Amino acid sequence: MLKTLSSVLPVLMPSWRFFRTIEPSPRVEYVIIGADGVTEDWRQAFPRPAAVSARQIIGRLFWNPAWNDALFVVSCAERIAEQPTQHSINEITQRIRQLPQIQGAEKGRFRLTFVSREGDEFSREVVYISEEFALRP
Amino acid sequence: MTFELALRATEILLALALIQQSVEHVFGGGPARRLFAVRLLLALALLSGVYSAWSLALLSLHSLAVLHRFQGPYNGGSDRMGLLILYCICLTHWLPAGLLSEVAFGYLAVQVVLSYFMSGQVKIVNADWRSGQALADVFAFSAYPVSESLRGLAARKQTVLAASWSVMLFEVLFPLALLNQAILIGALGVAAAFHLANACLFGLNRFLWFWIASYPSILWLQARLMQGA
Repeated sequence: MLKTLSSVLPVLMPSWRFFRTIEPSPRVEYVIIGADGVTEDWRQAFPRPAAVSARQIIGRLFWNPAWNDALFVVSCAERIAEQPTQHSINEITQRIRQLPQIQGAEKGRFRLTFVSREGDEFSREVVYISEEFALRP
Repeated sequence: MTFELALRATEILLALALIQQSVEHVFGGGPARRLFAVRLLLALALLSGVYSAWSLALLSLHSLAVLHRFQGPYNGGSDRMGLLILYCICLTHWLPAGLLSEVAFGYLAVQVVLSYFMSGQVKIVNADWRSGQALADVFAFSAYPVSESLRGLAARKQTVLAASWSVMLFEVLFPLALLNQAILIGALGVAAAFHLANACLFGLNRFLWFWIASYPSILWLQARLMQGA
């Protein structure tokens, strides 16, 4: 409860420092672990579409639950990178379990890869790998 | 804009923003459906205008449950603005009518002005923002662009540079709009267009609705300050 009340203070006295610096950006990736313990390749859990039509963009002004949930996953990933909490780990785990492409699989892991720019190049750094978890809750 | 009109307009716009948010949770297959079903009902009560003070008090209490459920705001800045509006107009209702009540509502307006000024100030002192590199990075690798095709905008250096300076100058100069009502209305129109662009490019639709909900407070504060002067 103390943590909840401490969340109220930044609401009443916000810093409003949006995009002060462009921090490394997280990507959530998952891997399926077979019954024999063999792992498949890591895949991005929540890839964005290649393109979005103007009609979709207008519609999303009013109805955008999937994207807003994806933004919450980004927040969870940033919280884990800062200091892992079971809450944030569970939130991401639950969403991976709901991915249609993992249906039927038994176990998996997720990892957080942070993308950043170093000079003219982009670098990717894995900052967290989860414990193995059951994909069927 | 009178105090009563601005307050009621804020209530209506906040209620609509909360309804939009709650409907996404309840019918969008996301988490915490029951929690947001309660917020939906309370927001509808606020929209009706019946017992507004009690609706606001219950929404404020309920917000603690939502903060607890997600261990903080669900959608960062937009949720924070929504809660700031909620708490400020709740206090406006419950504090004694007169100066204290006006201070609570005025505090909201001041924070909205600061939301633009501070965002611009922290950008303009950053060399990456001044060169356009920071905005290019937002498009290139941040989590925000709504499609992969938008990442290509990072390579359009002149466009990105012009957009960066447009955003920074608008944000840092925003407080000057308080000097004149017509300029303020124009500035709020530009600000709403800015949030609309962010909603289209980065999917930040909730920012658009919550910031617009705060605008009546600025219009009232500007009139109040001019009246005082």
